[in-house]
Amino acid sequence: MSFIQRLEQKSKQIRNEVLDLCVKAGTGHLNSSFSCVEILVALYYGNYMKFNVCKHTDPSRDKFILSKGQASPALYAILGDLNFFPKKELDYFAQTNGIFGVHLQHDVPGVEITSGSLGIGFGVAAGLALAHKLNRESNLVFCLIGDGECYEGSIWEAAMFASHNRLNNLITIIDRNHLCATDFTENIIALESLRDKWKSFNWDVVEIDGHDFNEIDLALKDVRCRKTQKPKIIIANTIKGKGCSFISNEPLWHGMAPKGELAKIAKKELNQEDI
Amino acid sequence: MSIVLQSLSSSQNLQDLQISQISQRDSFWNEMYEIAKKDRDVIVLAADMGAPALDKFRRDFGGQFFNTGIAEQNTITTAAGLALAGKKVYAYAIAPFITLRCFEQIKCLLAMMNIPVKLVGVGPGFSYEDSGPTHHTVEDISIMRILPNMKIFNSTDSKTAKGFARLSYECVNPCYIRLDRQLLPDIYGDQDDFKEGMKTLIEGKDSYIVTTGNMVHSALRIVKDLNNSNMKNINVGVIDIYKLPIDQNLFLSKVINSQSIITLEEHTLAGGLGSNILEIFSDNSVKIPVKRYGLNFNDKYCYKYGGRENMNKQYGLDIETLQRSIQSYIFSIV
Repeated sequence: MSFIQRLEQKSKQIRNEVLDLCVKAGTGHLNSSFSCVEILVALYYGNYMKFNVCKHTDPSRDKFILSKGQASPALYAILGDLNFFPKKELDYFAQTNGIFGVHLQHDVPGVEITSGSLGIGFGVAAGLALAHKLNRESNLVFCLIGDGECYEGSIWEAAMFASHNRLNNLITIIDRNHLCATDFTENIIALESLRDKWKSFNWDVVEIDGHDFNEIDLALKDVRCRKTQKPKIIIANTIKGKGCSFISNEPLWHGMAPKGELAKIAKKELNQEDI
Repeated sequence: MSIVLQSLSSSQNLQDLQISQISQRDSFWNEMYEIAKKDRDVIVLAADMGAPALDKFRRDFGGQFFNTGIAEQNTITTAAGLALAGKKVYAYAIAPFITLRCFEQIKCLLAMMNIPVKLVGVGPGFSYEDSGPTHHTVEDISIMRILPNMKIFNSTDSKTAKGFARLSYECVNPCYIRLDRQLLPDIYGDQDDFKEGMKTLIEGKDSYIVTTGNMVHSALRIVKDLNNSNMKNINVGVIDIYKLPIDQNLFLSKVINSQSIITLEEHTLAGGLGSNILEIFSDNSVKIPVKRYGLNFNDKYCYKYGGRENMNKQYGLDIETLQRSIQSYIFSIV
């Protein structure tokens, strides 16, 4: 099995686990998690990010800030799979005796910050990146933001701050799934051209298919030897709900988990050979 | 009918109090300069806000000072990131903007995760007296004191401002330091350490004015005249509360034998110091009557100008009105 195939296999496993934990809890942002599974799998299993499960607070680790905290099921499934905490905890997601719920929580091993209120994690990532620069440390800071999150003015405050302070150790990925809770972004307030916006904020911009590991690899492989002072933004075009047809690109499925028969159909679709 | 000005480290009498030669912000940043000289992890993020003493800081510690621009939300988030990486961060702006403008960031990061970023706000109450209600800071104590982990330091004079630099530096929680914009008399001395969070400035046998910030100065004047002039031998004291949350046991031990408490603040009544005192009394079944003096806008923000005293007059918080009102209240109770 090739490197790429292994990552694809892992993505399938993580989607299954995300579905299971959301269905069991009867809640969770399933489609927001599905759009960023490949991105997270690449970071955690693709050797792009340095971390040590046994020493998860090791100061020399790279930091990962999940600014779109509603995608916590995807991150929790991965952290559980990597044994940051007993995997059994996934069964209690958002339930009595559970140690975590729908939005990301900083006290879960492997998690850096509490997020869920949007537009906040990205600035924290910029602050971390600045601290590493000041300390002459080579750690990288990875941050995943949502495209809907880009409506928050604080995203652009941090974007200016990061490029002004030459934070080329800050690698940000936008999960560009084109959807917010109620509608498509271009219907709400048009975000396009996102690429031009970030470029004009003096960021190094690349645009990729966020479900294609070859393209993710092209975007991430040089992050430790970049020859620019600009921070990097990867616009990852994705499908909200990727892997499950009836929740894909469907605004009204935001923040919901399928029940009963629909949960079975979702499971079946996830395990088709050609997802 | 004696006024007992407790032996603060200085032996000043009330009459001798002089307007400070140094602003609270300069006093604070001068001390931070000394701290930052020894600890290169101290970082100042200024949201387009200065002070003469900060110019020196910026000049000498270039890598420890960043101007984040008029972007308070990002100032808090980047401060939190720096602090998570071990930096000791001070975020500095005009008081309403470093609190209300970025309250969500303060709540979700500093309070929820107990990240020890220190917020430094200049201009509590009406101290931006010429600037209108956007620059008045009269709601911040109400909203900041509800945050878990948050410690509030409200400066009384340049000495408290200096002391708060060291106290906040040593504090493992997020802090909000409120520095008055105007030059006020120095009540305290250089030896005071401010660790108790409150100070009985004048002992009161019958009653206390419990106050904070610039209103401490008003209270001292009012009490001096009241105790000197009243015919009933009534003795009123003054307690300066400069740190919140209030140490309840210490506070109750000071006032438990009083017949009444008067609270005085240049802050909205809803949720402010007086409100806090009522909560403490209620929670501890203390039945001392409380009379609150503070701002009640009655649905109309303050668009008055012409100096702080003139503005306070609109709300019955000028010295003359307070003197009359407090005297009549005390006489009605005691």
